[in-house]
Amino acid sequence: MTTYLLRLVAATYLFLLVAWPVSLVAVNTFDDGFASIRALFADPDIVVALRLSAYVAAVSVIVNTLFGVTISMLLVRYEFPGKRVLNALLDLPLSVSPIVVGLALVLVYGGRYGWFGPTLQGWGFDVIFSTPGIIMATAFVALPLMIREVVPVLEEVGVEQEQAAQSLGASGWQSFWRITLPSIKWGVVYGVVMTLARSLGEFGAVKVVSGNVLGQTRTATLVVEEKYLNFDQQGAYATAFLLAMVSVACIVVVAIIRPKNQH
Amino acid sequence: MSIEVSGLNKTFGDFVALDDVNVSLPKGQLTALLGPSGGGKSTLLRIIAGLEKADSGSVTIEGVDATDLPAQKRNVGFVFQHYAVFKHMTVAKNVAFGLEIRKRPKDEIERRVAELLELVHLSQFAHRLPSQLSGGQRQRMALARALAVEPSVLLLDEPFGALDAKVRKELRDWLRRLHDDVHVTTVFVTHDQEEALEVADEIVVVDQGRVEQVGTPDQLYDEPANDFVMSFLGDVTHLGGLTLRPHDIELDATPRLAGGVEGTIARLVRIGFEVRVTVHTVDGDEVSVVVTRAHARSLGLAEGRTVWLTPAAGAAVVPRMVLAG
Repeated sequence: MTTYLLRLVAATYLFLLVAWPVSLVAVNTFDDGFASIRALFADPDIVVALRLSAYVAAVSVIVNTLFGVTISMLLVRYEFPGKRVLNALLDLPLSVSPIVVGLALVLVYGGRYGWFGPTLQGWGFDVIFSTPGIIMATAFVALPLMIREVVPVLEEVGVEQEQAAQSLGASGWQSFWRITLPSIKWGVVYGVVMTLARSLGEFGAVKVVSGNVLGQTRTATLVVEEKYLNFDQQGAYATAFLLAMVSVACIVVVAIIRPKNQH
Repeated sequence: MSIEVSGLNKTFGDFVALDDVNVSLPKGQLTALLGPSGGGKSTLLRIIAGLEKADSGSVTIEGVDATDLPAQKRNVGFVFQHYAVFKHMTVAKNVAFGLEIRKRPKDEIERRVAELLELVHLSQFAHRLPSQLSGGQRQRMALARALAVEPSVLLLDEPFGALDAKVRKELRDWLRRLHDDVHVTTVFVTHDQEEALEVADEIVVVDQGRVEQVGTPDQLYDEPANDFVMSFLGDVTHLGGLTLRPHDIELDATPRLAGGVEGTIARLVRIGFEVRVTVHTVDGDEVSVVVTRAHARSLGLAEGRTVWLTPAAGAAVVPRMVLAG
């Protein structure tokens, strides 16, 4: 009885909060067939925005995978002073509003008044109002996702397999590649999916640092907002639908390829 | 000497795991590190393997000072209590791991893996994943994996501790036979005195971070250095000022021998062929005595009877420690 009740509560909640609204996005997108989607790809500025979003998400996934796995190894396998502080700092991107992240990045890397920005600009390197800034903001916001996926898996796997590899002659690097990485593979894959989804959808921080220049630094999420504000609801829904589909596709693909006996 | 350990100290916070440990382990032998849990024997083994670093002291393996060598340079085979199998690799790949790291030619690896799987009776499981093996099979695989690199010493940390009693007994016999074939210097950690007595050529008794005694199973059993070694290797009881084994006490219905201690039988428990007798002596001791069923019957033992106790000729005895249980 209780289980049925709980199921009902969970299902209702998910339906009202997630399934219904998201499905309405799809319904609105296809109000008049594929016309709205086609219209999107016909607009060169929007194609640029979609490409920029994909590029930023890809780079952010790569960067966060490298750093995320490294930091996770550090957190799980080593003891060092300041570990708790580092652990707390890693949750910051999740707890702070992305707008704050954006503003903070402008303070440091802003081309005119930033703490470090003018120096970088002197070397001919623009961060704010340019792609590097967008990537930094996105990577910052998505950083904890990889770590929170990998850390529990690393903890569960334990150190014995690595120690066995070392006693068999493997160097630290060999034991990482041949033993650790294959054992945390699914944690990393999930981390990549979450990071990718989050990066594609990042809005607030990107809005602050990108400058939102049409055809240059406007990402897909910014296109959604722009279109919505300009009463192009059809276009907004179509873009939103595309973004959502990529995330859904990722999750579906992982669910299919993940072997059943792995947990 | 194959392994020389001298002046080894190790603490974990306030806990002293090893306290100035000195041991020499001879080449080609099967040595047991025996002691209660938390006594420091696993720590000692892990320091020899390079998986743990000592606070001070030195480790020499086959004449090479290994104190500062990382684990991968020590050429030591290590077998873990919980197998530490590489879960994502097949049995054959697990065994081949050390050889692949050493970049041996492919055909040599294949040949050697086949040989080793034959040795540990796992040939038909070569292409299975470890998750499809039983605990005993996994541990045999781990052993083959450790032997593959032809280690100068083989270290086993409670290798049979996670297995059920029957498999443990089988593997124990098998390890002994394997060692007789392979002759690699082997050290294994155990808290099971029967395992140590049955399998090892030599036993190092470790307790509270110190080596209590080193010797052959017979030496340890017959001439225990102290009360602790004596009581750890088997049941003990106290008669007068002595600690000795319950089956090393002569029990008589009449005061036949000089020095016999008089007492009353408080309890009789028969277990199969033996009878365990609890005697309250006139000195106020509670003494356990084990006699055979036939002996008990011939003496007509019963609860409440008066008997006389004497240490048997040739019994292993040590003076009783003041606070010994």
